[in-house]
Amino acid sequence: MNQFIQELTKGLWKELPPFRLLLGLCPVLAVTKSASNGIGMGMAVLFVLTLSNMLISLVRNIIPSKVRIACFITISATLVVAVELLMQAYAYPLYLQLGIFVPLIVVNCIILGRAEAFAAKNPVHLAIADGLGMGLGFTMSLTFLGSIREILGAGTWFGYPVMWDGFQPFTIMVEAPGAFLCLGLTLAAMNYGTRRQLMKRNREGSEASASPCGGCRACSIGKSQD
Amino acid sequence: MKSILQMIVVLSVLCGMAGFCLSYLKMTTAPLIESQALTFVQGPAILEVFKNAENSPIEDRRSFTLADGRRVNVFPCMEGGRLTGVAVEQFGSGYGGDLGVVVGFRIAEDTLAGIGITTMKETAGVGTRVKEPSFLKQFPGKALPVKLRNQGGEIDAISGATVSSNGVIGAVAKAVDVYQELKPLLLETWK
Repeated sequence: MNQFIQELTKGLWKELPPFRLLLGLCPVLAVTKSASNGIGMGMAVLFVLTLSNMLISLVRNIIPSKVRIACFITISATLVVAVELLMQAYAYPLYLQLGIFVPLIVVNCIILGRAEAFAAKNPVHLAIADGLGMGLGFTMSLTFLGSIREILGAGTWFGYPVMWDGFQPFTIMVEAPGAFLCLGLTLAAMNYGTRRQLMKRNREGSEASASPCGGCRACSIGKSQD
Repeated sequence: MKSILQMIVVLSVLCGMAGFCLSYLKMTTAPLIESQALTFVQGPAILEVFKNAENSPIEDRRSFTLADGRRVNVFPCMEGGRLTGVAVEQFGSGYGGDLGVVVGFRIAEDTLAGIGITTMKETAGVGTRVKEPSFLKQFPGKALPVKLRNQGGEIDAISGATVSSNGVIGAVAKAVDVYQELKPLLLETWK
């Protein structure tokens, strides 16, 4: 049970997919024009990721290792088409908004990444926890980015006006460059926060700058806490 | 040898199951998806054309087969319990692919009730101007057939967007053909 919770929560902060692992950035940049788009895309990924992790973990022992990638892709592609059909049937306006990015979930690195790195090596309940955690983290991140971009770029949040009268929206925030600005600033803030935290714990700052990844300590954070 | 067989069997079974599940899901969701698409894609254009319809043109739609075997959805507009107009969607070729146009007709006078653009991939800011009211407002009340001014008609094309304008006119012309072919049948269906 402990391990279940550990796998579930690692996706929420320690290995937050778009901001820590920097996986699946294409939809992160493209669809976060509004908070509701972010939630919609996040839910679609959550659904696909959890189910694909579960199915892959179920069949992990009968899949020959030489064709495992083909099998993983078949499973996730099936789930993505299912999501696409369900979205068309029950949430058509969202489907119109997300457009090509729904079918593109199948090539999202998170899906295949979690399948290969986790689901193919772990029992079903842990794979589900991993999928749920990563999916929730992804949804949170997309909603967060979408909220910032919508509030600054359109003055609304989930469609409701939240800024004062006479607020001039920064149109750039809902365009493509706004996505890069927003993601970059978020990453910078997160790295700064992490670094401060590590400094406080009396870790030396020189160790980080000497490592090949520059200031990023994402890899060592997990180790230092375990 | 055994491992090759195992690979083939596992992959085939997996793909077969995936195909089966998807075709089942596709079949069960098809009617829902059609009505959703009509409501959110064609719906706004149809309601714009038939502002004073007393029925729901989308729910009351019927499908008809043309002489050449194509099927078209016809959307009726009722006023005072009588059929006053019908709308059909046809596609013309625009600059970026198919250009969907909903064309409404007034039954009594055989004139256009108006048109609306449903789907297009035209160049933003150039071809997309066919969606602007200044272009669309030329159509209501025009007698059939509808042509551009340089073809002897009364519609002004958008300067700089000739291909898109022609695409719209092409779609309207197709819709006129459909309307004229189906008119007797339509009058019989909705009295």
